[in-house]
Amino acid sequence: MTARAREMEADLVRFISGAGWEEARARGAEAAFSDLAIRTFRIQCDAIPEYGAYARHVGRWPGRSGDWREIPPVPSSAFKDHGLSAAPAPPAVTFETSGTTITRPGRVQLQSTRLYETSLLKSFARHILPDGARLKIIIFGPTRAESPRSSLWFMADRVAARFCDAPSWIVEHGEPRWERADAELTRSHDERVPVLLLGTTLLLHAYVERCDRKGHRFALPPGSRAMDTGGAKGARVELRRDDMAASVQRVLGIPPTHFVNEYGMAEMGSQFYEDTLLAGHERRPARSGFVIPPWVRTRVLDPETMLDLPEGRPGLLVHYDLANLDVPLAIQTEDVGAVAGNRLTLEGRLPEAERRGCSLPFEQFLERERGPDVPR
Amino acid sequence: MTQGLFDAFYLPPDVERQAETSVQRFGPPHDAIELRLATVTPASIDTWVEAIRSARAERLARRPAAEIHRVLERVAQRFLDPQSPVRRNAIAWLARSGRFSTPMIERALTDTFGPLSAGGVSRWVASELGSAAALDRPTPDRKGIPRQAFGPEWMLQIYAGNVPGLPVWPFYSALAMKSALFAKASSQEPVLPPLLARTIAEEDQDLGACIAVAWWKGGTIELDRAAVRRAPAVLAFGGENSTTSIARETRPEAKVVIHGSKVSVAYVSRASLTRAGLGSLAARSAFDVALYDQQGCLSPHAFYVERGGDVGPAAFASALGGALESLRDGLPRREPEASQAARVQLYRAQAHFEEATGSRGTQVLASSEGTDWTLVYEDGARFEPTPSYRTVRVHAVDGVEEVEAALAPAARFIEAIGLEAKGRERTALAAALAAMGVPRIAPLGALQSPSLVGTHGGVHRLLPFLRWTTVETGPRSAGHRRDRPKGKARRSR
Repeated sequence: MTARAREMEADLVRFISGAGWEEARARGAEAAFSDLAIRTFRIQCDAIPEYGAYARHVGRWPGRSGDWREIPPVPSSAFKDHGLSAAPAPPAVTFETSGTTITRPGRVQLQSTRLYETSLLKSFARHILPDGARLKIIIFGPTRAESPRSSLWFMADRVAARFCDAPSWIVEHGEPRWERADAELTRSHDERVPVLLLGTTLLLHAYVERCDRKGHRFALPPGSRAMDTGGAKGARVELRRDDMAASVQRVLGIPPTHFVNEYGMAEMGSQFYEDTLLAGHERRPARSGFVIPPWVRTRVLDPETMLDLPEGRPGLLVHYDLANLDVPLAIQTEDVGAVAGNRLTLEGRLPEAERRGCSLPFEQFLERERGPDVPR
Repeated sequence: MTQGLFDAFYLPPDVERQAETSVQRFGPPHDAIELRLATVTPASIDTWVEAIRSARAERLARRPAAEIHRVLERVAQRFLDPQSPVRRNAIAWLARSGRFSTPMIERALTDTFGPLSAGGVSRWVASELGSAAALDRPTPDRKGIPRQAFGPEWMLQIYAGNVPGLPVWPFYSALAMKSALFAKASSQEPVLPPLLARTIAEEDQDLGACIAVAWWKGGTIELDRAAVRRAPAVLAFGGENSTTSIARETRPEAKVVIHGSKVSVAYVSRASLTRAGLGSLAARSAFDVALYDQQGCLSPHAFYVERGGDVGPAAFASALGGALESLRDGLPRREPEASQAARVQLYRAQAHFEEATGSRGTQVLASSEGTDWTLVYEDGARFEPTPSYRTVRVHAVDGVEEVEAALAPAARFIEAIGLEAKGRERTALAAALAAMGVPRIAPLGALQSPSLVGTHGGVHRLLPFLRWTTVETGPRSAGHRRDRPKGKARRSR
């Protein structure tokens, strides 16, 4: 890492660590955000040659007084073939992206995970552990050793090490060991020790479905909570959030106030959380959508014109994340959603199976080529 | 002309009286239509199937096929006649259901019903069966052996909604072979199947008594199962998930044809790249891309263009871009949903990224505004479907071997190849492409107009569902195996 990059990293860590969550404070920090983003962009243009070439190609080479909105977002699909990283070989970590619907999985290589961890721990603590609870964690997924290329299981590993006790993992050698979950949950109930469940929506759903079939019920002690991520991507049936929350409550005894959804992607160091649990802690009603961290800006563009849409109107999402230093901070996604204040609402995708009919959806084509999805 | 409520189902009158219905909103919130749907349960599926089966036995099975075919031809004429209320009503509702622009819908109705009118149904049946009379009585085939064809008692058909006319030929195929029809409409296109059923019933009550059209959410396992398990014949279109579960549930003896997801591509030989012909070639290519907004399995996603012609692949690409631009008005697109447009934008951004950083000489051409069309030009062949909505790749290639290699791993996903070449060169190229197992090779500009008497997915439209009775006249029957002298069979080498 160059001295310039090291200094940048320190500045970014300082900004993220000190950032206030209140909307007004975040707005007040606009100039600081823009300054850091532009400096990061300049470093990235030099350190990641492909990104620099792309920025020049699309005519976005901001001068000194640039606005962060001028930073060209890199398409999330570009992680596929291109070494879109400033990390020298071998990098400290390599995350595999799940691939967009138009490309195969890509790679996100980081030289340092310091920024990533700063961002993820701060967001996680606020939205999942606002009461400062120290819980036993049950990870509905594999260990990091078993799945070293997944940013999600990296995150679970960091969270477990930093905030939790006695982690246990439900997936081993690629197979869910449901009996292990049964045993852990029974123990939690018997010993009145609250637990934190963390995993993909699909795995949690599969587990509660299995419990329903077998008639298993766990009245987990108060304070127990669950975080799920990934939505119903790849599900054969449509999962409705309400139904999922109801099953989690019915089977595990975790109320909807303690069931928090997270939205993230391997290409971004930062994640977005619902504020259901935080709202309960602050004794106020929860607001809908995901909270945009103060070190992230999300633009919503008209997908036809690529111009910014007014607040509240749904469009294509572009994220600017100050937790991204080794990879471009501006990411163009294919996700559709709306932003109001510091809230992001994602628009659900229609299930593809029926809509495309006899025309080959490329997700399916790629799925056959690459095998099942790696979560983040 | 169209009011807000559409009856998105059809049941024979006696059954309809007892059916429960509910109303659902359909389409974008600001311009939704309301669909009245029959409430579907496993028990109601049983009742409806029973009703169309017995109607078929009483009113269809012994009717002369030619008479049925004439009814179907008259119905096709009503969907073709610009003055006919049937056609105008269909266009209005299809337009309001929001998938395609009005010119596109008009085109779809004309292309779909055209081949079925004026003797078209009987010609189609005769082309596959030898003669339509073979559906009525044992009729001598080409070798003089009397044979009679029997369609299944009833057929389950499950449609996809990607192309507006898609249900029509399958719908006709069932009735043309005297089978009752239970049709599941697509949630994307709930309009045409019930309209077609109602028009047939108006024209001929007996045929109308043998049809049921319903809709339920794809993947509703108990309903899929109730329909599929009883069906003696199934014709289904759809994605892999839905078709796999359908295939699993069918009766072992059922006659099943499933059309999974596919796309098409095109090949342009160097000899056909002339200055004089470029305009027409580009226009025909653009038409194949633009029709049905590239939603069909016959829509080309990639053009493989040989180097070394009078005009090069890059010139072809820019001519194609120009032709796509002029189709923005000529054959307007329906604006895609935000998520679809977002994919096109990501695809474009990715192509620009490759343009800036790649080594394949990538160049991006795109509509002057919006996501109307996108063209990505690059050196060398490869295959990857695009996000559609008029997004296409043009690859400069040295020859067909290069394309064969690129397509080989994906050959089973390719429905058709549009081939631009003439004479002996065309014969040779077609042979090379056919060897890959691609079901259809067609001229550019006609890629989306398959022949009714041809095949879909490489299988005929009627033959796979028929059962035959052959009336043999004894050992001397002409052309029969038993005519040969007894003893050791002669080996021919």
